[in-house]
Amino acid sequence: MKIKRPKRAESYVPTASMADIAFLLIVFFMVTTTISVDRTTVQLPTSMERGETPKDSAVIVVEENGVVHFSDGEEGSRVVNPSDILPSAAFIMSKNSLKFFLIKADGNVQYMAVDQIMEQLRQAGVRNIAMLTEQESVG
Amino acid sequence: MKLKRPKENPEIPTASMADIAFLLIVFFMITSVFSVTRGLEFQLPRQDTATESTPEEAVHIRVEPAGNDCVFIVDDGQMALRDIAVYLMPKLARNPNKFVIIDTAPTAPYRCMVNVFDELKQAEVKNISIPTEAEKAAWGRIM
Repeated sequence: MKIKRPKRAESYVPTASMADIAFLLIVFFMVTTTISVDRTTVQLPTSMERGETPKDSAVIVVEENGVVHFSDGEEGSRVVNPSDILPSAAFIMSKNSLKFFLIKADGNVQYMAVDQIMEQLRQAGVRNIAMLTEQESVG
Repeated sequence: MKLKRPKENPEIPTASMADIAFLLIVFFMITSVFSVTRGLEFQLPRQDTATESTPEEAVHIRVEPAGNDCVFIVDDGQMALRDIAVYLMPKLARNPNKFVIIDTAPTAPYRCMVNVFDELKQAEVKNISIPTEAEKAAWGRIM
């Protein structure tokens, strides 16, 4: 007597959950990426020592040609007059006296451009400052 | 006579869903920029309790421009960037709260000042003072 075998199961790759995986990845990237407030490209100076800075810090950008951008950390950066930082910084400090200010200056600018900004931040009573740098390669 | 219709299984086509999702991922990956959020931190003194670093006791580093690069004059003697840490080590061993003043010439490139600052951070100098031009003017001659 011939034994009837059960019908062979059809082989296939399960793709139903692929979309779930992909959307999970999208959500992950959307949550982890921070929308940067400034997209100016500058040639940052390099340093060995580098610390993490808070995400919602105010940013002051100095381009190589001396153009200064300012952002309070929430809105996108806008071009400002280099001597007009004091009122903006003072306003931010009145809301949050521990606010971090990031100085994103091109490594080739003359120091006086940075000095002018530091002086205004000092007058505004800013305490926490960080100078953004690129990682210095060893050697 | 009753016509028999072939009954189709109702279903939503989900096979291309993954393609769409991955397309979105690739789009986000390309358009997002990696922003630099790391750097050298320091704190400005509070104005009321500003600790005056007395120039006599502090190490004074003058950063002067020299062509495309800079020269560093540490307490009246010119020094290579790498030697600054060596010079500071015995001084810091004696007094860990030793003040170091970075006095940058206005025309010197910003990166030179960052290099010195980085060097001091690595040497674990606690008190780094970066006087602004206005402060220097107030101090008079700080050398």
